[in-house]
Amino acid sequence: MGFEPKIIAFCCHWCAYAAADLAGAARMQYPHNVRIVRLMCSGMMHPEFVMDALSQGADGVMVLGCHLDECRYRDGNYRALDRSDMVVELLEDFGYEPERFNLTWVSSQEPDKFVKAVTEMTVRIKKLGPVNDVQG
Amino acid sequence: MAVTAALEWLGSCSGCEIAILNIGEDLLPLITETLDIVHAPLLMDHKYFGQCGEGVALEIPDAVIGIVTGCVNNREHLEVLQEMRTKCKVLIALGTCATHGGIPALMNGQDQQESWQGIFTTVSTDPGAEIPDVEVPPPLDRVYACDEKVRIDMQLPGCPPNPEFIAEVIVSLVEGRDPILPSKSVCDTCLTKREGKGTVDKVKRFIENVEFEPGAPIDEMRCLLEQGYMCMGPVTAAGCAKRGVPGCISARVPCRGCFGPVRKGGNQLLDMMNGLASNGIDYKSVVDRRSILRFTGAHGRLRPVKKHVAREKS
Repeated sequence: MGFEPKIIAFCCHWCAYAAADLAGAARMQYPHNVRIVRLMCSGMMHPEFVMDALSQGADGVMVLGCHLDECRYRDGNYRALDRSDMVVELLEDFGYEPERFNLTWVSSQEPDKFVKAVTEMTVRIKKLGPVNDVQG
Repeated sequence: MAVTAALEWLGSCSGCEIAILNIGEDLLPLITETLDIVHAPLLMDHKYFGQCGEGVALEIPDAVIGIVTGCVNNREHLEVLQEMRTKCKVLIALGTCATHGGIPALMNGQDQQESWQGIFTTVSTDPGAEIPDVEVPPPLDRVYACDEKVRIDMQLPGCPPNPEFIAEVIVSLVEGRDPILPSKSVCDTCLTKREGKGTVDKVKRFIENVEFEPGAPIDEMRCLLEQGYMCMGPVTAAGCAKRGVPGCISARVPCRGCFGPVRKGGNQLLDMMNGLASNGIDYKSVVDRRSILRFTGAHGRLRPVKKHVAREKS
């Protein structure tokens, strides 16, 4: 049980970040492995954010935004969705496992969903191992 | 008094040196009055180990301005580069190989052992031939750009670099001011007609010609991205424009991205894919997208693809 992964979670200000806030206020337990970075919208997640995080030692990257059609900026999360398919493929190009990326929709009143997503991701990354683990 | 200059080439094709010679009329005062070239293996006779080979250690004379071209590929390159750094006050990395790895860094995208096998043995090689290890300097673990190995004072990318800016850099150094170099993308210097994104949802391969009126000037041709071709203009640094039009575009060919990313540390592959995806263009229609890093494979950007290995369950 030595490996404690570092996971960067990019949360949109209006939904996922509020959900994380609520999870804290409600004293819900979730793994400490996740580090939250607030974005105004999941649609502003440039693939470079993901690659930068991984190349600087993060073991996994999550993007959390509002449910589809509930974006504060109308179509920001559709953009995030378009990009996420691409990010998954690009991860392989850069030599990372595609499982290290995750996109989840969480509304501001769903702290339980936030906790679930974060917990599942942590379990998944723990199975994968550290990011720089050289595999043949 | 003339300023001393040393030129050196590492893993390169000599195209950058030809670009220096291609400065044109300005070259004459540059090499006769402004500069006093003390060392340039490709252009003049000055040897590493003394003129008759009497020296023991590699030696490059002291110079104020040092210009290196090419990537750092093997131990010899590294030794020469480090000697240049100690002997030159200002070191300029000239050309995309020196600044971003360039074409030689394409090798970073595949297994090095396999590449070396492929270089030294072919189907018709006689049996018993081995990869030489005496005459050929041993390779480094991958291909590096110059600034990964030593401190570089000025970067001037391009494949080949624009002679106009080579002259500008040298003159600005001698005059003691900052050089005036382009800092935007190729699109900012492009004259083609932009009419809006239109209905493009896939990128075409450049196996058929773009649409244009033969003989008509460039500003009457439609933007090649809008025509659906994979033009790297948006993610590539400007600087290739001669006579007002980017080099490849003036030949009615999409930009290949040879000047590297617009921002220092940028990633052309990520930026291009991001641009395509956020404009609703199917990124899967890009054939061999890793080759977008064809000029910028150093700095650890291009790596061999991991082979999937079935792991034993413990």
